[in-house]
Amino acid sequence: MRLLKRFIAVTAIASLALTGAACGDDGGDAAESGPVTLRYSWWGNADRAALMQKAIDLFQTQNPNIKITPSFQEYEAYWQKMATETAGNNAPDVFQMDFSYLREYSDRNALYDLKQQEGKALKLDDLLDGLKGAGQVKDGLYGVPVGANTWGYMYNPAVYAQAGIPEPKPGWTWNDYRATVAKITQATKGKVYGGGNYVGSYYNLELQLRQEGGLLYTEDGKIGFDKARLARFFNEGKALADAKATLPIEKGVQIKPQHALELDLIAGELGWDNFMARYAASTKAQLKLGPVPSDNPGAQGQYLKPAMLLSVSKKTKHAEAAAKLISFMINDPEVGKIFGANRGLPATNAQRAAVQLEGPLATVAAYEEGLKEQLTKAPPAPPKGAGTLEQTFIRIAEELQYGRISVDEAVNQFFTEVEDTLES
Amino acid sequence: MTTITSNRRTDAGSVRPAGPRKQARRSGDGLAGYLFLSPWLIGILLLTLGPMVTSLYLSFTDYDLFNSPQWVGLDNYQRMFDDARWLKSVRVTALYVALAVPIKLACALAVAVLLNNERRGRAFYRAAFYGPSLIGASVSLAIVWKAMFSDDAVVDRLLRTVGIHTGGWAGNPDFSLLMLVLLAAWQLGAPMVIFLAGLKQVPKELYEAAEVDGAGRWRRFRSITLPMISPVIFFNLLLETINSFQVFTSAYIVGGPNGQPAGTTLFYTIYLFDRGFGDYRMGYASAMAWMLLAGVGLVTLFLFRTARGWVYYSGDKR
Repeated sequence: MRLLKRFIAVTAIASLALTGAACGDDGGDAAESGPVTLRYSWWGNADRAALMQKAIDLFQTQNPNIKITPSFQEYEAYWQKMATETAGNNAPDVFQMDFSYLREYSDRNALYDLKQQEGKALKLDDLLDGLKGAGQVKDGLYGVPVGANTWGYMYNPAVYAQAGIPEPKPGWTWNDYRATVAKITQATKGKVYGGGNYVGSYYNLELQLRQEGGLLYTEDGKIGFDKARLARFFNEGKALADAKATLPIEKGVQIKPQHALELDLIAGELGWDNFMARYAASTKAQLKLGPVPSDNPGAQGQYLKPAMLLSVSKKTKHAEAAAKLISFMINDPEVGKIFGANRGLPATNAQRAAVQLEGPLATVAAYEEGLKEQLTKAPPAPPKGAGTLEQTFIRIAEELQYGRISVDEAVNQFFTEVEDTLES
Repeated sequence: MTTITSNRRTDAGSVRPAGPRKQARRSGDGLAGYLFLSPWLIGILLLTLGPMVTSLYLSFTDYDLFNSPQWVGLDNYQRMFDDARWLKSVRVTALYVALAVPIKLACALAVAVLLNNERRGRAFYRAAFYGPSLIGASVSLAIVWKAMFSDDAVVDRLLRTVGIHTGGWAGNPDFSLLMLVLLAAWQLGAPMVIFLAGLKQVPKELYEAAEVDGAGRWRRFRSITLPMISPVIFFNLLLETINSFQVFTSAYIVGGPNGQPAGTTLFYTIYLFDRGFGDYRMGYASAMAWMLLAGVGLVTLFLFRTARGWVYYSGDKR
């Protein structure tokens, strides 16, 4: 009996000690000369993971000393995980970064300054002109763009033809846009709406501000517009919604996560042009990309936005290997071929040349090529809290379209959140 | 005086020899006991109690996950009362609890009464009604539910055949919460099983006596069944109330972090999660969690108070 007891006690202690040892083994630290293991995280789905694995395999064959441990999540879950991992001093060495979170992480001292590797392990000279300097915050370089996109007008020409309305031409104004939306809805008797959630898009407001010579956020991270300007935007959008010219909000909410263009519910919508590929994959309609409306001829307001960046954790022990991986991901033509436009159109000339674009992707590339001269400088990286503000904007615009709040209430609610978010 | 002390000493002395041996055995037993408990003990210390204490501390700080927490005292608690979305989330949650709990319990009791009768295939019906509870917190279920309540889907069509035109509930702020209430009511398995057990306990003689006296079905249900199973009703009421305050999965799938449509499904837990993991305001989120605990505690206390008036325990002299 006593023996049995002792035996049990000993095994229990031994098993505890074993689990403890297994936990403690994690922090193993390889010398820089020996094999190095890098953790690499990104957001995306299984399709992207398959492509990513191909690219990683290629990298590992070329750099037998570096082993990559990949992991991925969906976009929202990804940021929840990144936040907790960073807080727990356990961030991956290399991870995908979004423009709206760049300041959030760099201001909080969570990112490695890639300036130290630039020109050495990290080659940046082949980046597209519009993307040079993207990822820079103050004097440091905290992210390198992998892909880029532009705000554009995606539309279904068949619906325009059916409604007997000419397709949009350069020089059309915001009044033209709203009138067109209403006319199409009227002509199709509401079977197809002229436009979607126009007022719920933060970037439509940004585009208008840029056309007027303003910015969404100023260089020093303040909000770039006042209450009157926001009220004007909300009023114009609400008028469209009230006249039932745009897709009703209750419909838009129900079809999520699909987009109205995918379901042929609307004639056209302003959005990031790399979404063309996604929409085109699920609709039979031959979508086209057209000019954005502007009240100010000669100022289109569009810019090349880094769709996705790669950053390195401040806590990494292998900065050089991490920089090498990033350099490979943005420059290697083979990687460009593997991904196509999965990460947005490639950010370097070499990868753009390597990608054989077909169908909707060719349209997007041609569109960006045609705009090349008109694209203006990308805005400074948005201040921390920008992600929250964008969510707030979407939420408030939704309540506005439901008629739950007035324009004044909407404006005040947004600015309360601005004060709360940008000053804390 | 001396005798007494010496007496005591001898007493103590006579006990002592046995003492250590006994104690050694006890502490040996204790060690083994604690070792066997250790998986649970480590779990509760590291995974429950530790985080709880930490969260209590964090609720008095400004903590954004990246920088170390800054002490702000009661600031987080005060800010809640000026936070329109917090107030909204409280309203949404309270409305949900007030609707979902009675509806679910009424359905569960009705089904339990029906299933209490002797009839063929009873086991099958019980399993069928319990089934939905087994897949309770599943994500896929919430997705299917949302799809069923969309434009032109099953529910919309059924309602139209009887002349009611509501459109899809999922996109309609007036109906979105009701949709989640129905989802809760459909998963009535757990309280139903408890009600069934309670119904079995009611003495048959009472019914027989009442029948002899000419009491109808409804009368028997009201005057015998309800009072006799009131402790079970109370138990279910408590459990369901506490559970309903914590609804998350289905609400998150249907309404997302913003509580779509138009914030009508912005439950307390959803807002808490969004503040903590979406906006990185962990201090505020922790304070919200403790407020929820206090709120649920108060409601429970209130229920216990009222219980004195309507819960009947047999053997109670009242």
